[in-house]
Amino acid sequence: MNAPAAPAGSLLTAEDLRKAYGPTVALDGAGFSIHPGEVVAVMGPSGSGKSTLLHCLAGIVPPDSGSIRYAGREMATMNDAERSSLRRSEFGFVFQFGQLVPELTCVENVALPLRLNGTSRKEAEKTALGWMQRLEVDDLAKKRPGEVSGGQGQRVAVARSLVTGPRVLFADEPTGALDSLNGERVMELLTDAARSTNAAVVLVTHEARVAAYSDREIVVRDGRSRDMERAV
Amino acid sequence: MSARRWAGDLAMGTRFAFTGGREGWVRALLTGVGVGLGVALLLLTAAMPSILDTRHAHEAARQDYSFSSTDIKPADDTIVVAHTDTVWHSKDVRGRLLQPEGAKAPLPPGIDRLPAAGEMYVSPALADLLRSPGTALLRERLPGKVVGTIGESGLIGSRELAYYAGSEKLVPLLGKGNVERIDRFGDTTSQGSEPLDPVLLLLVLMVFVVLLTPVAIFVATAVRFGGEQRDRRLAALRLIGCDGGTARRIAAGEALAGSVLGLVFGVGFFLAGAQLASSIELFDVSIFPDYLTPSPVLALLVALAVPATAVLVTLFSLRRVVIEPLGVVRTSGPGRRRLWWRLLLPLLGLLMLTPMIGKGNGGGDFNPYLVTFGVLALLVGITALLPWLVERAVGRLDGGPVSWQLAVRRLQLSSGTAARMVNGIAVAVAGAIALQMLFAGVDADYTKSTGKDPSRTQLEVDLRAATTPDATVRALRATRGVRRTVTLSETSFGARPETTEDTIQIMVGDCAALRELARISSCHEGDAFVSSGAFTDAASRKLMTPGHTVWVDPSYPGNTKGAEARWTLPAELGRAQVRKDALRGDLTGLLVTPSALPAKARPSLGSSVYVMLDPKVPEPEATEEIRTTVQAVDVLADVSIWQSTERSTRYGAIRTGLFAGAAAVLALIGASLLVSQLEQLRERKKLLSSLIAFGTRRRTLTLSVLWQTAIPIALGLLLAMTVGLTLGGVLMKMTAVPLRVDWPSVLSMTGVGAAIVLAVTLLSLPALLRLMRPDGLRTE
Repeated sequence: MNAPAAPAGSLLTAEDLRKAYGPTVALDGAGFSIHPGEVVAVMGPSGSGKSTLLHCLAGIVPPDSGSIRYAGREMATMNDAERSSLRRSEFGFVFQFGQLVPELTCVENVALPLRLNGTSRKEAEKTALGWMQRLEVDDLAKKRPGEVSGGQGQRVAVARSLVTGPRVLFADEPTGALDSLNGERVMELLTDAARSTNAAVVLVTHEARVAAYSDREIVVRDGRSRDMERAV
Repeated sequence: MSARRWAGDLAMGTRFAFTGGREGWVRALLTGVGVGLGVALLLLTAAMPSILDTRHAHEAARQDYSFSSTDIKPADDTIVVAHTDTVWHSKDVRGRLLQPEGAKAPLPPGIDRLPAAGEMYVSPALADLLRSPGTALLRERLPGKVVGTIGESGLIGSRELAYYAGSEKLVPLLGKGNVERIDRFGDTTSQGSEPLDPVLLLLVLMVFVVLLTPVAIFVATAVRFGGEQRDRRLAALRLIGCDGGTARRIAAGEALAGSVLGLVFGVGFFLAGAQLASSIELFDVSIFPDYLTPSPVLALLVALAVPATAVLVTLFSLRRVVIEPLGVVRTSGPGRRRLWWRLLLPLLGLLMLTPMIGKGNGGGDFNPYLVTFGVLALLVGITALLPWLVERAVGRLDGGPVSWQLAVRRLQLSSGTAARMVNGIAVAVAGAIALQMLFAGVDADYTKSTGKDPSRTQLEVDLRAATTPDATVRALRATRGVRRTVTLSETSFGARPETTEDTIQIMVGDCAALRELARISSCHEGDAFVSSGAFTDAASRKLMTPGHTVWVDPSYPGNTKGAEARWTLPAELGRAQVRKDALRGDLTGLLVTPSALPAKARPSLGSSVYVMLDPKVPEPEATEEIRTTVQAVDVLADVSIWQSTERSTRYGAIRTGLFAGAAAVLALIGASLLVSQLEQLRERKKLLSSLIAFGTRRRTLTLSVLWQTAIPIALGLLLAMTVGLTLGGVLMKMTAVPLRVDWPSVLSMTGVGAAIVLAVTLLSLPALLRLMRPDGLRTE
């Protein structure tokens, strides 16, 4: 059963998404919706299509068919530059291994999205340091990613994802590479920070412990999505 | 440590080189291609002796002139050969007319029978050329119908233009120019080649060192492709209990496998290149695939040296790396590189070269070992200095836009990788600068003035077969592109009809022609003049006394009989002041108008027609028209273009070799640099995708990649200029030529290096754009 039609007031919605990589069908009619300030966990086993769903929702990968609307605007009609601009200004990202730029210092990494938006270096690093303080990693500002632990690096990545004040935060297995203690701390900081800025969080995970931080869960299996809250 | 254990570790490393799915294969492939390109060039070098020997053997086998002083009498086994070489659009065409004198006349190599009169055998390249449009003028020059093709054994290159044509009119031309009777083809005198003078030997050594050092450096660089992934694999092995020594041996095994794959690829590239060789011509030199037989000893050396280098380079690169179970720790870390030991190599190079300063030509021979190793040490010193220079320079950089910041930070973190990428280019450019300086310095020694002024006349036609120049001059005047002609003839006279003494030159021409040689106040037909450059010894003065009787074209004992025309010098001999820009140099006798000479002397005249071209007719059209006209009138005539200087053939050959080699090395460096660039981009695929995912503009990342290449290359070229100028200066001191920097050469060499990097960056852009797709984040 596919996800139902988008509820009123949704910030980001997707309907009947289909995506195949060659013969492999990743999404087969998946749907999704999220409200501002809401945390939605996308769950499912490995290879079920949850990361593909996240990539489609974030405009990283165009779906083969289906509709994705962000703030009332159809993303399929946007060109690559417009989608890039959207990702730069409206979206934030956290990946499983942080994907910090190894040669930049932590503060430079956090400041990077602001600098890409044209903010001056000084201004960007000042804002970045503020976010690093909130995520309790300000002491790592001058270190490079290779010199910090996995948990610290992931918190730096969370700071980077929030530094532009995104309206939607996409987190793909943000604690996948961390131990449970570090994972929980990262999730606490991530969800608190997102809620404080009223950002919606799309959280891809296969861990129930992580999904517990969400307001709602969607399960993806064989490329189809199912809203668990409604199923209950 | 048992050999079995060693073998086991190396074998495991070999397996790692090829496993790892598509990633593993791509890495192995890139290493194979990188090393393979170097190996192919090394094999090409190993084939150089075979190329030179085979070309020399073919050249010797078709030799059709003898050094013998005794005339060969006509017989059943003799043949008369006339040289009718011509030039088509600056390319030489070797032409031979053949007239057999009996059934057993020898056959030149490459053809199965002698062509009859009106028939012609042509080389495959000439056949191709004749089939192409716009060659009608060349076809007009060639005397016959094509009946066959000259085989490989009769040619010295696949693209050589040559023909053998049959003739029945050669016997009367014997003794006129290049017409000779022979009884065999081939060089029977086995004249060994003269040893090279010390400066030319130095140039040859330098060319080899300068061309091969970058190749060796690239082979060493290519085996380090995929180093980061290798380190991660080794860390995983350590995690499951493998000790540090084993990890290193496994790494060595991996490098060994990559280099062996590179050897296989290299042989493949070499063989594929050999098949293509027949269609390639570089600087007028072409070869047949058969010529490319590497010397077994040199090929074995390549086969052993490449894997050994791979293993040594890998072990050297791991010398300060501790592979720990949880990752790789570089003990050098971000610590600063030290300069002192990096200076040792270039200083050692200078030390080895210093004792040879001032030797030059005439100052004794250079020690080839000291030269080779001295130059090698200086050039390889660049590879030691460059990482230090890049680290120091980029360490001070900061600020700027995001693309600049990304690039600078990357360089600060891994300046070694960046330096490695440009090492080859830097070494090649440094060597080329030094060589260019040396060439520029010694150029004057090997380039001599011809004394000819191309502004006075552009073409000289030396007639051979024609008895008088009249027909040729008439034909030339009717030819498109000819503005004016001047005809001058030459003979000599002596005191007796047969003489062993020196004779005196007579230049013959009408008054206008003589005025092209000297300033003559009054001139009428029948006049004769003594040149201001005439010999002034008593015997010569006596011979040039007015009214004196002499013999024009006297015979020399043992030689072909001359005209022996009795001539009484005119009662009055005018004075002719030789012009500085005379059409002929060395005017050492009389200048005479035609009717002043007896008619019997005329057959002895050797005539030249000087042609002034019409500037309205474009070149080389005018020259080609003239060559065609001349050949139709006098098949043996020689048409030469006036040039103010001419170069020593050997010096020219070495310079040509340098350019051909430099072209091959630069192509290799460009290709290897591209492979290395692609490998680096591939390793950062995921990071590039994630940067794009959060909205980084492609332009920003593209500029960042450009900066990452441009900064080290700028530093590399700066260092290359410094080392190149130093080495060039030392080499000039060694050859005792005045120190002078040929800035245009220095800047053009540096520019070539920069252009290669720019080209490589542009060529890698499509791959970069592909890798920057955000779907690169997908891992399933």
